Amino acid sequence: MSFLLNRLLSIALTLVLISMITFAVTNILPGDVAMMIMGTQSNPEALAGLRQSLGLNDPLIVQYGRWVFGMLTGDWGNSLIFKVPITELLGQKIRSSALIVVLSMAIALAAAVPLGVWAAVHRNKWQDTLSSSTALLGVSLPDFFWGIMMILLFARALGWLPSSGVADPATDFGAALRYALLPSLALGLGLMAHLTRMTRSAMVGILNQEFVRVARAKGLSERVVIWRYALANAIGPVMTIAGLQVGYLFGSIIVVETLFNYTGMGWLTYQALLNRDVPLIQATVFVIAAVVMLINLLVDLLYVLVDPRIRLE
Amino acid sequence: MKRRNFLISTAGLLGSTAMLPLFTSTASAQETPVSGGTLIWGHSETVQNLDMHQTGTASTSRVLQNVHCSIVTVDKNLNVIPHLAESFEVAPDGLTYTFKLRNDVLFHNGQKMTSADVKYSFERCKDPATGAVNFEVFNHVASIETPDDLTVVVKMAQVNAPFLSRLAENGAGVIMPKDSGPQQGTTPIGCGPFKFVSYEAGNAVVLARFDEYFEGPAYLDGVIAREITEPTVRLTGLRTGEFHMINDIPPDRMEEIKGDSQFQTVSWFPLNFDFINLNNDFEPFKDQRVRLAFDLIIDKELLLQGALWGQGALTASPSYPTSLAYNNELKPRAQDIEKAKALLAEAGYGPGSLNIVFKATTNYPYHVEAAQILVEWFREAGVNLTIEQLTWADWLSQVWVNKDFQMSMMNFFGLWESDFLYYSLYHSTGGFNYRHINDPVIDELVTKARGVVDDQARADLYKQVQQRVYDEVLDIVIWFRNGSIAAQTKVGGLDTIVHPNGNALNFHKVWLKA
Repeated sequence: MSFLLNRLLSIALTLVLISMITFAVTNILPGDVAMMIMGTQSNPEALAGLRQSLGLNDPLIVQYGRWVFGMLTGDWGNSLIFKVPITELLGQKIRSSALIVVLSMAIALAAAVPLGVWAAVHRNKWQDTLSSSTALLGVSLPDFFWGIMMILLFARALGWLPSSGVADPATDFGAALRYALLPSLALGLGLMAHLTRMTRSAMVGILNQEFVRVARAKGLSERVVIWRYALANAIGPVMTIAGLQVGYLFGSIIVVETLFNYTGMGWLTYQALLNRDVPLIQATVFVIAAVVMLINLLVDLLYVLVDPRIRLE
Repeated sequence: MKRRNFLISTAGLLGSTAMLPLFTSTASAQETPVSGGTLIWGHSETVQNLDMHQTGTASTSRVLQNVHCSIVTVDKNLNVIPHLAESFEVAPDGLTYTFKLRNDVLFHNGQKMTSADVKYSFERCKDPATGAVNFEVFNHVASIETPDDLTVVVKMAQVNAPFLSRLAENGAGVIMPKDSGPQQGTTPIGCGPFKFVSYEAGNAVVLARFDEYFEGPAYLDGVIAREITEPTVRLTGLRTGEFHMINDIPPDRMEEIKGDSQFQTVSWFPLNFDFINLNNDFEPFKDQRVRLAFDLIIDKELLLQGALWGQGALTASPSYPTSLAYNNELKPRAQDIEKAKALLAEAGYGPGSLNIVFKATTNYPYHVEAAQILVEWFREAGVNLTIEQLTWADWLSQVWVNKDFQMSMMNFFGLWESDFLYYSLYHSTGGFNYRHINDPVIDELVTKARGVVDDQARADLYKQVQQRVYDEVLDIVIWFRNGSIAAQTKVGGLDTIVHPNGNALNFHKVWLKA
């Protein structure tokens, strides 16, 4: 319990620090949101008026204080550029991005674990070479390449799936899934490659250990030895990597999002930065950081389930 | 058909100097429109703040054109004509405007439009606290009276001749229901042919037909404006049939789409004009000979081919070719590098002595491409041109707001109104004068124009402004860029879609074949 408390406390502290840094850095950037809203239709008086009405003339510390107070009281304010409540905007985009992150991770794991185990079991045989080259191909080619290939195949040639777009899973899950499938596949392929390599090397190490030999000597079937005993011991590092990847994906899927016009968190963060929408930048960075840290915490907790030797203290 | 006539007549106006057809369409012959269907449009830009008063972006006004109506509007030749006001009258002294409103206009909430809504809308735009982009339109307004439900009388403290034409745009002239201000940014409400249904940032704006529209209901049940900023994604969506139409075809792909019988294309100009800016406060550019030399270095025709793949038409004036004020005697200067070198030498800048930084924004990739083409010509003339690429935020902050640049390039969308154009851009105190232009002759002309009520006399003054800008080379105006739309062949009525301002798209008469 004290482990959990400690971790939560350190997460909270880190978030406070991150919010201060983002606030300071975004205010150093040239230009502001009033200028972006008016574009080339602005004149100095109109700009001054808009700045005043947006509260941009207040001292930085006041603006920051207002933001912190809002965050704590659940009022995250409106995006200055989109004029929509930030919580609403974030809700949509988090759900959409979470869908492709989860889906791509599921696709990646479903393929990577069997493939990695298969390669480890047949180490240095043709199966291993095949699995390694597949993984190498996946790692070497960027996800936008897979994206383009999939658009050509599934959207253009076969016409099964839409080439672009996004839907909110909370309002129409079926549509959301249709839009999410291609981006998830494109992301999943790259991820799969990493995880396959990870699974293979972890399994190779485990398969050389004494307890595996003992299990085999006891006359357990090869299937039980590999999938119950060896894999259970090898899965730890794979989980760690997968957990890190989920957090990383959340903030970095912008390329795939752009390619499929799947406007999720990556897109939102980019728009916020591009338009100097400080409250929105704060909120997106904050959420991404929180998600990354919470997922890592979750992975640590899952360890206990997978490996009974670990105690959290 | 109206629009087509407008474009043909415009071609006549420009005579043989019209370098490209003003409106070309591969759309098939006229058929009888049918009602029904929802049109899915792959829109090239992201819509932002939906409050028509506060928004300055071409993308938002392009969509909201279908939701809102203005008190007056413009015809094909940009003459002000009645719209929500069935008639208007300007007193001979130019100080009183009387609008008689239509009796049959309903807002989307079912409420009838009255003079109170007009008063509310004008006062909201005028109020600095609203943060309205066009608030200065109402600067000289002394009072807004509503003697009865259908009459609005605007009294001016001093003559402001451009007032009426500024009201012909949805920015300053838009009429919103009384007290709807706070909701306009998220759920805009107006009296246009389509009702606003929903908006998901970065994804789509959904519009539905408003059956009580005062000019008759639209054919389409609705329009979904999907926001697809990547041109290639947009084209893919058109090819896979996900979109009925897309706007802003990348110029280098135009020929490919035109040649495809699966699609129809529409292109028109001007979508916007582009000009190359010289900072008039930068020492070398204080000398007219240097500015003239810079103009002479540029081969505009080649630049148009290189940067825009020919998808535009050269011009020496930024006035819309359809407007009364367009000075068609001005011709783009032909390239003459020898003469340019001589002028530069005369001004004291021998070969290699001028190092110029050209700030181009990546927001308009063709500006960067144009700059890259310029470098070589300038090198031939002995001028070192260095390109600095800026994001939109950086460009706005460095060039537009801080006026910190030597040479740059910009465009303007929908800036057809002469006062807005010339006063804002060229008066020494104009809001858009980011080039530090300070020319007493222009100041006098544009100030005088504000007090001249007669349209033709006023247009003549603006023609003199254009002549002055041209002679003094205060800017190097280069071209009108084409707007373009590609659509599936089942979309009808595309000849009516483009607003005379060249930017807004109007879906009132667009329909889908069964």
